Parts: sequence; C-alpha cells; structure tokens
Amino acid sequence: MQSIPRRDFLRISNQIILSLAGLLGMGALVRFLGYQSQHTITKEFDLGSANDYPSGSRTVLADIPALLNHDTQGFAAFSLICPHLGCTVESISEGFECPCHGSQFDRTGTVSRGPATMNLRPLRVVENDAGHLILYTE
Amino acid sequence: MHRFFLFTSIPFLLVILFAWLTESLRQQPIELIPTLSGKSEYCLTCHSDLPEISASHPMEVFGCVLCHGGERLALDADLAHASMRGGKNPSDLAVVEQSCGGSDCHSGSSQAERDHIQRVMTSIQATYTGAITNILFTFGEQSDLLPRFGALTVQDTSLPSKTGIRSLEAFNPSQHINPIIQQFAQNCLTCHISAKAREGADFHRQTGCAACHSPASQSPYNTSLDDKPKHTLSNAIPYNQCNTCHNRGNYDLRLMEFVERADQPATRLENYYQPIAQFTLCEYTLDCIDCHTAVEVMGDGDIHATQKDIQYVQCRTCHGTLAELPLTKTLLDADDRAFRLALLNPMMDLAIGDTILITENGEPLWNTRVLPGGSYELYGKATGQRLVFRPVMGSGCKQNEWEQDSQSCHTCHALER
Repeated sequence: MQSIPRRDFLRISNQIILSLAGLLGMGALVRFLGYQSQHTITKEFDLGSANDYPSGSRTVLADIPALLNHDTQGFAAFSLICPHLGCTVESISEGFECPCHGSQFDRTGTVSRGPATMNLRPLRVVENDAGHLILYTE
Repeated sequence: MHRFFLFTSIPFLLVILFAWLTESLRQQPIELIPTLSGKSEYCLTCHSDLPEISASHPMEVFGCVLCHGGERLALDADLAHASMRGGKNPSDLAVVEQSCGGSDCHSGSSQAERDHIQRVMTSIQATYTGAITNILFTFGEQSDLLPRFGALTVQDTSLPSKTGIRSLEAFNPSQHINPIIQQFAQNCLTCHISAKAREGADFHRQTGCAACHSPASQSPYNTSLDDKPKHTLSNAIPYNQCNTCHNRGNYDLRLMEFVERADQPATRLENYYQPIAQFTLCEYTLDCIDCHTAVEVMGDGDIHATQKDIQYVQCRTCHGTLAELPLTKTLLDADDRAFRLALLNPMMDLAIGDTILITENGEPLWNTRVLPGGSYELYGKATGQRLVFRPVMGSGCKQNEWEQDSQSCHTCHALER
C-alpha cells in the first residue's frame, strides 16, 4: 500500500473538514434565509371545472370554508365563517348554525338569530378562460 | 502551515456541528394561527395537552394569546409567560376587560346582552358592599346603611339606575382605626370574586369569571374539590362550586373571624347547606343555578346595596301560588334569549312552540318546560337530571298568598336535618 506523504494527508484532511463545515454553514444559511414566521394566507381558490357544479347544486367547500351555490342566476358563494367571532358555521335543516354561540343563518346566509348581527359574507366567484371557477375570499 | 490550518478547521467544524445538533434537537414549534387574530402563536409547543376551554371558545378561532396575553412567538417559558394577563387566570377582575372584553365578546351593550363584565363588576359578588356597609354601620364607622364602599371602586355608568346607587369607593381598612374593622378586613374579605379564596380545598376557587365558570369539580356529587385550576369554562356549575364561598361556615361577629363548619357531611343534603336549617327536597336536589338566575348571580348592571336587593327568585317562581300559576312564555322567535342560553348548556332540546317558565323580571328559565297535563319539567343544568313538578294551584296547600318566602314553604315541605 502506497503511503501518503504527511503534508498531503494534512492538506486533504483540512480540505475535507473545511468543505464539511462550509456545507453545514451553507445549509444553516439557506434554512435561516428560507424561514417564514407567518404562513401566507390563501385568498384565491381554484375550484376546478365549472361543469363539476351543475345548476341547482349547493356545495360546501369545507377547506375554505364557503358555500358555492349554482342556480338560474349563475354562481354565487358566501363564507361559512360566522361574522360574530369567526367560528365555522355548520349546516342545519334551516340553513346554518354557529356551533360556538348559536347564531343562525338561513340558506341564503341571512342572519336569523344572534349574537351575530351581520349576514354570512358574500364571496366573489368568477369563471376563468379555462372554464375553472376561481373563488376570492377577499 | 498545513498543520495550523487543520488544527484551526477542526474546532470550526465542531462548533458548526454543535450548533447544528443543538438546533436539530430543539423542540420544533407548533404553530397556530387563530382566525380572530390571524397571527402565529407557538403556545401549543408546550401546551398541546390542554383541553379546549369550551365549545364557545374554540382554539382554532381564539388561540391562546387573545385571552391570556403572553409573547406569542416566544419558545422560552419565562419569556412567553412574562406578559400574560392575570397569571393563569385572565378572567381576574383586574384584567378581565383586556382578556374577555370587546363589544362582540363580554363587554358589549346591554341590548345585545354582551355586557357581562359591566354587570359582574357592579354585582354584589364583586363589590361585597352589603357586608362592608353593615359592618361599618354596626361598629359605628358610618351613621346609616347607605352603601358607600365596595371591595373595589365601581361606577354604574348605565342609565337608568333602578337602585340610584351610582358609585362605590374602594373600601380601605387603613382609614379606620377601629381594630374590629381591621379584623374584618383581614378575615372576612375573601368572599368576593376579586379576592383570593381562603386556604383549603373546600374553599378553592379562582377569581373573576373563573370563580364560578371554571368549576374545580364537574361533578355535583363529588364533595372533594381538586385545587388545581382547570382549563375549562362552563355554564354547568355544580352546587359545590357555589359552596366554595357559600355554606362553608359562619362569621363570628364578636371576634370578626370566620368559623369553618365542622360537620362531616355524608350526603348531598348534609353537604349542600350548613347544619343550621331545614330545606325542601328541590333545594338540595337541584343545583343553585337551577333556581337562581344569571341576573341574580352576575348582577343586572346596577349597583345593589345587599344580596337581598338582587336575589328575587322564590318557590312561587316555579310553583306559583294558590291563586296564580307561575309565569310562562311560549317561544315563538328563534332569536329568543332562551335558545341562546340553552345552546350554551344543552341539557334539554328547546324548540319553537315550547312554553317555558319565566321569572317576574322576564328572565327565561330555559331549562324548564310546561307539560301537557299542567305539570312542569326541569332539567338540572349541571346534572341533566329530569324532574317533574306541579303547581301549588289546585293542590292541598294552605299557604297564605302573601307569605311566599322560602321559610314559609319550609314549614310544611322541609326535611329536618
């Protein structure tokens, strides 16, 4: 086995250690610079093809949360976040009820029982050129 | 030269490895972005085991910081807790406005029935003014029984005031040289909800809203109270939470000392009240909140002179008299207050068209219902227990109409202790 000169061994070891340290340091720097303390809040949702929501349908979009209504007048949507304090309302036979404080809304989102004093907030929904419905929460 | 570089780079690598390892081993923060604030908070990193405080205050909507304060992004416990409001109890009356207030929460208008804080601050539970006034009068420190002092300074800013009492000054015992007043201040001011409770498990309660709404024990049959604060807010308040202040003993006015009851209650009847009187079945079967209303307990926004001025529910509220049936109301409006109260403590299914009992002040007894045969049902707010009862009218009762306090009814209906 060929022996490595001491000088070369030290040089190679030094290069390996410095490379490792550099890689770790770069990794830490990338992680530091890539840190996001606040998540970005999505305000625009692609609901997929408009054909997926036939006329007469009422679709609860739980992830947003919102209700998409398709009737003879077209598409309309409203938020399912209670305007009182922000809990997500739940479907009941008469419309919607907030599980937190009991506010009720009819099927159109109009408030029928407090403590909420405002209706469920209407949301803008448009069909894009690709035939997809885009829902805007702001 | 190469040796020098090598000996320099090894510590450099070790330092970086150590930093990397430390960072990797550190607990990763659990982030919560509550709907109401929309701001990240890391409290769940350490407190993910805490149960949700109530259905009305879901964590994903309120988060922690909105009520408790604190540094929302801190991961060091001391730093995170440094700016918390009221320590573990943000409902303490000193900080309740910042913690629980807000027009949509508990500090709104009386019309919207969101004036809980204003009502409680001026209530007898907070001011303790009846006791203070009586002691000052009895021991010659004031010449009449007009309430001037309370446990805290309060003003009734709402008009009109039924009692005409517009404000109370904070009772300051140092302004009195009478030693009996000093004794009173030292021994007898623990019963109002801005004061810390007496030592001992039987007395354990928190201050502020939590004094009642964070019961130490959810079970009304559990006579031993856990003295650890519970992360809970409840409207199902068992009688033994009320008993952390009430029925725990007597004040010896000669010595101005509180004398704890010494009996060893074995049954609910014995535990409910002190062994000084006799009581009817419903008084010791039900919980206090089954009869006494939110206004009686939390106040009506006016400053009252004594407990008796605000406490008005009597036996006849539910049972009526020989001449009159109890007051009732048929629920026709989905927005009726009874439905809101029932939703917060869903012990019975209240529906449009139900007829419930109401008090003479119109407060809905939402846990009651008139039954088709003319009797009534009541669901225990803490127990869910269903009880059916009849009106006095049409019964063999010989009670005088003008004698309707509980003592009069006890004459025939009480169980001797």
